[in-house]
Amino acid sequence: MSLTVARVEPSIAGVGDYIELMKPRVMSLVVFTALVGLLVAPGHVHPVIGMTALLCIAVGAGAAGALNMSYDADIDALMTRTAARPIPRGRVTAGEAAGFGMTLAAFSVVTLGLLVNWVAGLLLGFTILFYVVVYTMWLKRSTPQNIVIGGAAGALPPIIGWAAATGTVAIEPVLLFLIIFFWTPPHFWALSLYRTEDYARAGVPMLPVVAGDRETRRHILIYTLLLAPLGVTPWLLGYAGPTYGLAAAAVGGVMIVLALRVRAERSGHVASRQMFAFSILYLFLLFAMLLVDRMSGLVFGHLAL
Amino acid sequence: MTTVSDPVDDFTKRLMGDLPPQRGVKLTEQQLRARRARSIAIALALGAFVIVIFLVTIVRLGGNVLTRPM
Repeated sequence: MSLTVARVEPSIAGVGDYIELMKPRVMSLVVFTALVGLLVAPGHVHPVIGMTALLCIAVGAGAAGALNMSYDADIDALMTRTAARPIPRGRVTAGEAAGFGMTLAAFSVVTLGLLVNWVAGLLLGFTILFYVVVYTMWLKRSTPQNIVIGGAAGALPPIIGWAAATGTVAIEPVLLFLIIFFWTPPHFWALSLYRTEDYARAGVPMLPVVAGDRETRRHILIYTLLLAPLGVTPWLLGYAGPTYGLAAAAVGGVMIVLALRVRAERSGHVASRQMFAFSILYLFLLFAMLLVDRMSGLVFGHLAL
Repeated sequence: MTTVSDPVDDFTKRLMGDLPPQRGVKLTEQQLRARRARSIAIALALGAFVIVIFLVTIVRLGGNVLTRPM
């Protein structure tokens, strides 16, 4: 008696391939924004609980990255920017990545829920589900508004951080959510301006592919004009001090200048590359300033007592 | 696609001495190295998970960690 089975070559994937599946660069921004959400929240969080929450959020972000790469392996292989990812390169199969992602997702959500609190746990679960199902499976290949709506997933970590510290959600972390939400479109559209051929080849309906360069540059400016004042609102609403307000206004001003240059650019992509690079720095500086503002408030408040 | 023999059949034959003792997939040096690295990473991750659970349990229990019925 004999059985017929498909031959599967034993894996040669190394640890680095699995780390790559977790999109470490995206993860670092997620962890940083979640850390800010956690530290600006009122009250005291025990460092062990705080670190556990951040670890779970990091693993959850990694899970979302692995599931995204598993589903998008076909289009990743067609784009220069993503062709070297572990699945298109043949190091990991799409099934292995899916199993890896689902295991990490389940572990991170349940661990965050049980060890920290269930508001944070459920928010993390919702974020992973939103990124994988709503953005990756549904919106990414069907509408140029993919990164606008899908950006909500990347904007949720400060709310999860806040929820990990307080067990609730308040206006302040929602403001941080809105800042990242309005930051995402100009950030990705600036990138897509000089990767249009990549997206077109893969059939991803990014704005420059569907509506053209000119319309994309106009959209970048509109969203940046909304983003810059939004970045200042934590100060305007009294959640941060004037140092933060001034810094936010300054970097917001730079973003507007860059968006105007992107709008004015007729050929080449110098301005859009600068916009893409500075937008990462913008978000980092904004959240870092918020953290410094909060920490200095705590230190000086403590000294004044 | 490839045809392989039934493992139960093989087991019986091996017991009867009809088959050589070693069969199956032979891993290459590279595959062995990769598997070993993955196994170590999984072990470290599980170890870290145990430590996290332990630390959070101690933190959650606080001073009550020493309170137990005699």
